[in-house]
Amino acid sequence: MSIFRTLRLALPVVTALALAAPTAAVASEEAFDRLAAALSTSALNGAFRARVSGTVDLEGYHLPLPAPALLETNRPDLFNPRLTLFLDAQLGARAYAFAQARADRGFDPGDAGSRHRLDEYALRLTPWSDGRLSLQLGKFATIVGNWVNRHGSWDSPFINAPLPYENLTGIWDTDAVRSVNQLLQWSHVRPGLSAATLALDKRLRVPVLWGPAYSTGLAASGALGRFRYSTELKNAPLSSRPRSWTQAQKWWTYPAVAARLGYAPNPLWTFGVSASTGTYLRPSADPTLAAGFGRGDYRQRDLAADLAFAWRRWQVWAELYRTRFALPRIGEADTLAGYVEAKYKFTPQLFGAVRWNRQVFGTIPDGPRGPVHWGRAVSRLDLAPGYRFTPHIQLKLQYTWQNEPAAAPARTETLATQLTVRF
Amino acid sequence: MLPRRPVLLAAVLAVLPALACAQATIEGRVALPQATPAPVVNQRYEIVSKGGVVATNPPLAVVFLAGSFPKPATPPVARLIQKDLAFVPALLPVQTGTKVEFPNLDDQYHNVFSYSPPKRFDLGRYRPDERPVPSQTFDLPGLVTLRCDIHEHMRGVVLVLDTPHFVMTDPAGHFRLTGLPPGRYTLTAWLDSKTTRAHAVELTPGATLRLDFP
Repeated sequence: MSIFRTLRLALPVVTALALAAPTAAVASEEAFDRLAAALSTSALNGAFRARVSGTVDLEGYHLPLPAPALLETNRPDLFNPRLTLFLDAQLGARAYAFAQARADRGFDPGDAGSRHRLDEYALRLTPWSDGRLSLQLGKFATIVGNWVNRHGSWDSPFINAPLPYENLTGIWDTDAVRSVNQLLQWSHVRPGLSAATLALDKRLRVPVLWGPAYSTGLAASGALGRFRYSTELKNAPLSSRPRSWTQAQKWWTYPAVAARLGYAPNPLWTFGVSASTGTYLRPSADPTLAAGFGRGDYRQRDLAADLAFAWRRWQVWAELYRTRFALPRIGEADTLAGYVEAKYKFTPQLFGAVRWNRQVFGTIPDGPRGPVHWGRAVSRLDLAPGYRFTPHIQLKLQYTWQNEPAAAPARTETLATQLTVRF
Repeated sequence: MLPRRPVLLAAVLAVLPALACAQATIEGRVALPQATPAPVVNQRYEIVSKGGVVATNPPLAVVFLAGSFPKPATPPVARLIQKDLAFVPALLPVQTGTKVEFPNLDDQYHNVFSYSPPKRFDLGRYRPDERPVPSQTFDLPGLVTLRCDIHEHMRGVVLVLDTPHFVMTDPAGHFRLTGLPPGRYTLTAWLDSKTTRAHAVELTPGATLRLDFP
């Protein structure tokens, strides 16, 4: 019933926006054009150009408790306003810089008060004009997979990230696991965690990838015919949490490396394979490691495949991640996570998207009990209609149905809405 | 007895030079706004960076003669291409009823769309070599702003006019409208969505009128 109550509350807002949109559209176009001109500058006869742009997001969630994925709240309803500012600057044809700053209620929406961060900043040098090589230095999104290209609120048809980017596994990055039983408790496969730990463990567990992984480092990318390549050397691996992404964490002792090779036989199709490895334990785990072992002995290794298809009104994406965590005292634990996502434009302004997500966990030996799955398999369906009132205003709704048979309750539903103003 | 059709043809041919002389011309200059710098291309998550060089479009104006004119017998066809991550031309004046083709000459996808009231459409993503070339017919007069769903800096304008008598200025603002029918009309210079300048004109057969829009 609460879902319908939320829909009833949202309906008048949506209707008012829909009615006001045609009138406001023309006037707002000119206002946004003036704002864009005011936020642009150039010098050196146009050789240097810079522009500030951004989005204002108003997000609302109606969710089951405990809150799913990376949402951090103890309440069934969550409101998350977000201001994102982008800086894009071009110097000649060889140097490009960008930055992204955000003010919101945390990188992962939660009950916290307002926060502001510099999520990305990078300088890119392109020595040759044919695109064969670009070098990038700074703090920026990973080159692995194909979700990063569309992870902004305006570009993604969904409000949340695909399952591999936000579903928490039983891996803690703060402590080295001591036994199979403990890992199964951390994974919520077995009971045993205290209520206090359960309340906190969202801040201890990590997913396979933590969103776009804005870690610090350098990258080299380019095109060779129909092939695209990217490599990166970063200070933190794909599963690392946002506070590990800054240079201040000094993770250079254990750098993470990643590479992606893409192949685009034509504009319709793009295929890619990626690999990444890095030490997933944070420095706080050092005292919990056995004598003679260091964090560098315990790495996360990812292999990924991705594809993208686009033609006329259709866009389809899919990614599959096979991740192996090396665990102290246990060995290796594998997980497979992926999704298929499709978007279709019904009219120039109305679109809809559907995404099927799945994550399964491999087995680890549990003494006489034999092999046991070290995580709870999850299936998730995301449905998201969206409407663009103008080229600058977009409204998305999202319904998420999740099935985690080993959880109680096994099936949960989440509703979300996001109004985005782009300038 | 001569056949009727050759007689008519001969009569028309005899009258044509006179008709041509009877047509009026307007020429002049429109004071154009200062050029704006080329936009910055958002390349944040582009794997392949080619330097962010885009075609520049100097400001131009459209000068047209407003009045009541017959519709063309066959719909005119115009082309507006996507090249070097820009619409070329960035400003395209067309007569109402014109079919505009949108060929993609870049080696990557574009997704041309418009939410402007005179013409809402979304061409979707199409390959550069796809045939027929995606097109739209512009049936209502007005301003249609074109954008690309993939490249947010791309901007183009189709100005749909209820007249066959229009011309683009050159980058210095000079224009010349020829073949105009004699009579009283309003000559309008369109500079952008907020700026138009108009003058009442009286065209006499065979005369050339000089008119500047300061």
